[in-house]
Amino acid sequence: MAPARPGLRRVEQIMGTAISLDLADDLPAATLHELAGQTFDWLREVDARFSTWRDDSEVCRLDRGELPPAEASADLRAVLARCADLWRATDGFFDAYATGRLDPSGYVKGWSAQVASDRLVAAGAGNHCLNAGGDVVVRGLSPTGRPWRIGVAHPWDPTATCLVLAGTDLAVATSGVQHRGHHVRDPRRGVPARGLRSVTVVGADLGLADAYATAAMAMGESGVGWLDRLDDHLHAVVTDDARLLHSTTLPLAS
Amino acid sequence: MRRALLAITGLAAGTTALVVLKGSPGASQVATGERSPVVPAGSDPAALPGVAPTPDPSDPALSARATPGGRQSPTGRAGADAPRPAAPAPTTSAPRSTLRTVSGPQVTYEYGTLSVQITLSGTRIVNATGIGMPQSGQSGRRSDDVQATYSGTSGEVVRKQSADLDTVSDATATSEAYQRSLRAAIDRAR
Repeated sequence: MAPARPGLRRVEQIMGTAISLDLADDLPAATLHELAGQTFDWLREVDARFSTWRDDSEVCRLDRGELPPAEASADLRAVLARCADLWRATDGFFDAYATGRLDPSGYVKGWSAQVASDRLVAAGAGNHCLNAGGDVVVRGLSPTGRPWRIGVAHPWDPTATCLVLAGTDLAVATSGVQHRGHHVRDPRRGVPARGLRSVTVVGADLGLADAYATAAMAMGESGVGWLDRLDDHLHAVVTDDARLLHSTTLPLAS
Repeated sequence: MRRALLAITGLAAGTTALVVLKGSPGASQVATGERSPVVPAGSDPAALPGVAPTPDPSDPALSARATPGGRQSPTGRAGADAPRPAAPAPTTSAPRSTLRTVSGPQVTYEYGTLSVQITLSGTRIVNATGIGMPQSGQSGRRSDDVQATYSGTSGEVVRKQSADLDTVSDATATSEAYQRSLRAAIDRAR
């Protein structure tokens, strides 16, 4: 049996993926449950408002022209502004219109998880880990009192990791091929991106890290050089021919 | 890896609260099993207590098991339960309603054709299985390449045991074909 540990761990299914929250603060159980409830409520709200799978979502209504841009919520307008920034910053490789219609999902998941994490910190839960479908924010320390240890999945073996990171305040996003084929498209050529198997970006904001990882995947091999020139972000890349390249200052666990 | 399997299961939109774990032993009403946050490499998801059903997409027996009239429940009634009960001995749990399975249509995608089959207990989705997903033939071969080429200290693409991790970052993006078939299966189940 594992020893008792403070905190609370919960997994829910939202945004078509598994989202797990690990609260490591030694707070009263009722407080922890309330914080977890607020976190998942927020993520469900984001899903309802931003999903491209729900015809009544704000994003779909905007896309169909039923919702004038001026009447969109502040959150949606902020997300669209960030997507436009990212489109420029990535030379068009991050494209919220890559599918031919408005789909900001590539930014929304990371952004909403980052917002949730920031809210937890503000609410006094400064030690937690939030994993939204493989994109991770860690804050403070783990329940064992050490920095969080984050495995980066092995791109050819789902039962293994190829890197282990450790840190106290990190956003870690991985984009990749995994088992279902090349799912990241090169929005500029309209074909599946080739060259890279997996891109992990480490930064301070999960929305940015996720979008940068997606963009680098779409760039293919040239994405490695592009990642190298990014300020304030570190990366680990596995190429299709199984080479691993990573920033020399990547916070690898010892 | 359970996380990936959970993600697959979790595509069943609307299912919630698959796992609630609290640190102090005995405090959780949903799951009683103690577990580490990450499945050690190679472990069988079926062996883990306290976890929601974790389908193996390559396991055709799973769907058979979950079908009413299958070997778990000859009558398809009263005794029927999830293929893998969530907790070993919750004395307060009410008898569950009959399980049934609903298949989504076959959807063609880049690597073939897939169909998603969901298993329902009453109106609650307890399982989702992708049939026709890519198998690991090429993946297995490439893993060997990786091992052979980068098992030294200069390369980091070596399999690291996952037992001592708090979480894992991976690319669990959902396939559009999977979502289309899953969505149709859910619509059919209504």
